[in-house]
Amino acid sequence: MDVLLKELTKLEKLTASNGRGKTVPIKESLDTLLSTLEHRKQVVETEGVTPESWKGVTDILESKKKEIDERLKETYSSMSRLGKAIDKKFSTPLPSYPGLFESDTAVNALERTIALHFLRTGQFDTAQTFIQESEVIIPDELRSKFVDLHHILKALRNRDINPALRWASDHREFLKSRSSPLEFNLHRSEYMRLLITTRPPNLLLAITYANEHLRPFYHEHEAEFKRLMTCPVYLPLPRLERSPYADLASPSLHFDLEPLFAKEYCASLGMSRQVPLRVVGDIGGGGALAKIEKGRRVMRERKSEWSQRDELPIEIPLPPENRYHSIFTCPVSKEQSTEQNPPMMMTCGHVIAKDSLYKLSKPVGRPMRYLENDLEFAGAQPRLKVKPLSKL
Amino acid sequence: MASKVNTEGIFLFEQPFVRVPYENYRKVFRTSQKQVEREYGAIQNAASDITNRCKSSDVPASDAAAAIDEMIARVKSLQRKLSDLQDTSGKPAQDVIRERLKHLSTLESMSHSNTPDFTRWADTRLDRWLVDWCLRHGKEETARQMAKEKDIEMLVDISLFSDIRRIEGALQNHSCTEALAWCSENKSTLRKSKSTLEFDLRLQEYIELCRAQSKVEAIAYMQKYLTPWQETHLAQIRQASALLAVRPETRCGPYKRLFDPSRWENLVKSFRCAIYSLNLIPNEPLLNLSLYAGLASMKLLACYDQSTKKVDCPVCDTESSSGSQGLGLGKLAEDVPLSHHANSTIVCQITGRIMDEDNMPMAFPNGLWKRWLRGAERS
Repeated sequence: MDVLLKELTKLEKLTASNGRGKTVPIKESLDTLLSTLEHRKQVVETEGVTPESWKGVTDILESKKKEIDERLKETYSSMSRLGKAIDKKFSTPLPSYPGLFESDTAVNALERTIALHFLRTGQFDTAQTFIQESEVIIPDELRSKFVDLHHILKALRNRDINPALRWASDHREFLKSRSSPLEFNLHRSEYMRLLITTRPPNLLLAITYANEHLRPFYHEHEAEFKRLMTCPVYLPLPRLERSPYADLASPSLHFDLEPLFAKEYCASLGMSRQVPLRVVGDIGGGGALAKIEKGRRVMRERKSEWSQRDELPIEIPLPPENRYHSIFTCPVSKEQSTEQNPPMMMTCGHVIAKDSLYKLSKPVGRPMRYLENDLEFAGAQPRLKVKPLSKL
Repeated sequence: MASKVNTEGIFLFEQPFVRVPYENYRKVFRTSQKQVEREYGAIQNAASDITNRCKSSDVPASDAAAAIDEMIARVKSLQRKLSDLQDTSGKPAQDVIRERLKHLSTLESMSHSNTPDFTRWADTRLDRWLVDWCLRHGKEETARQMAKEKDIEMLVDISLFSDIRRIEGALQNHSCTEALAWCSENKSTLRKSKSTLEFDLRLQEYIELCRAQSKVEAIAYMQKYLTPWQETHLAQIRQASALLAVRPETRCGPYKRLFDPSRWENLVKSFRCAIYSLNLIPNEPLLNLSLYAGLASMKLLACYDQSTKKVDCPVCDTESSSGSQGLGLGKLAEDVPLSHHANSTIVCQITGRIMDEDNMPMAFPNGLWKRWLRGAERS
């Protein structure tokens, strides 16, 4: 990348009106030409024209033309050097997938995704314009939910936990079902704020607050509750920060509330904790496409078929936080389990896919080699005790 | 766990990002070259004119002085034109290249994708993709507003796409003028890529003359604009000349096809192809390409089973609580292949974390798989 920037700087220098280079800037050539012409004009006016004296004019025109051409040549070669450097750095053109996501249903789905993305990320004005320009319909109710979310998040950023608390107590049942610590964490942050920011430390205020608001969570957060009650021993703040309770004094105690709140709020709407368009875009734009293309190329070279709609020919490594489902790949057939071909566990504890299991036990009468040493299975009749695994 | 920034994979998307402003600058340079040639040529002509007159007879001093005056005026105008061009087009194009290279080079200094720097960068990239998508789908207002609000006007190609839109709109209204003007601006590049767009446009104009039954004009038009293509398009030209003898309401196959108004739609398409390939922009929006790869990397059969859907999984798309079909990304994922996995992965039902040797899966006697939670005694 540095090479590119360097080439660009050279080009910029060459094309600036009085830029330096090996050759004379065009402006300078033209300036000298102008003053020479003006001088010539005076000479002509006083002395008249002879073929010899006029030759001076054509000569200077000729020489200046040469100068300008050289300058243009230098600029041109600088420009092509930049072009070549760009080609070198960005050598692979993007692949083409004709007609991808161009069907009406796909465009509608995309429009909807984009509109929700704007709302989700708090770009309400853009969302409005977008919705007007497309045919997507987002219920007002959903829209206002996102507006609320951003109000609450903004308040949280300004250390006002009240709107968030109101929402949390309205959705207490939902949060409980997810065993979410949101409400407790909100109160915890407020309690610590009272402890740390009051000067001189107003212990009574904080403890009253804890009594009133944290006490109901005693059973769910017993250990944490005890720590909270003990930490004032280390006040004031500088001492607390060097104590075993330093984590409670950290500002992240409050700032972590924002993502936690957004996560719970979105979950209550049935939405993911990360912005989905970002997640998919980052994975796709972070190497997945390059890998898929490479896989396609290899398949082409081997002249083997790869039906696009079926399954990718290669595995795209995903960061752990983006793996949401358990995947069972049969160690025998290397196929992913399906509803019709579920994983089965043998009594020895090994798990393989149902189809593989049947294939292995097909030649009736012959014990499965793999299980030869297993007393329970080594017999004339392979009695496979298998049971389906519950959904992973 | 921090994952490394895959610069190479990311840069796969960025070729057009850098090439578009570079091509713009090349155009500016060519224009300036032409201006020098034209103006300077005129100055030299004026000078040689006097030289020639000197040879045969005396030239009055006043004539020579007037000639020099004219030259001076031309030099000044050339100077002005060149500096105007540099100020209004050349410099801005260079600035755009610089801004974009800078945007990309910040990426090279990042080591991991979980840093706030990278998050910001990826946010901007998604914004760019969204603007690109909006521009390609005729949502120019949104695109402009986004570009302005996010301050990424230098990083998106609004003017290029509004040109495309203007010319396409003209074609949709059955006017070739704008597209032909674009063709003549980019004549040499189009010739190099063996594009037949110009011929197709000319042929269409000719067909329109035939449709209007103005035969004399049609013949003149053909002689002027179509015959130069005879080396490569003789068959088409022959067929076109026979069109003179046919009425627009003909039912004869080949001629009916020539009169078919849907040819205009094809012209729009081939124009779009030509301008995209000229600027090395992919035919599909960048957003679509990244979504294709991203969705394919994540899509599993489990995403389409109501009982195994996960709220955080983008492919599962749980937004619609009824039925297994998603409304957004889940719907799009139907068009992409499933992901491939050579090994099994077990994600804990409770924590959502992946199991490995430090975090072993445990099976309960009743067959349920759960991870033995660290510190599970607590709960």
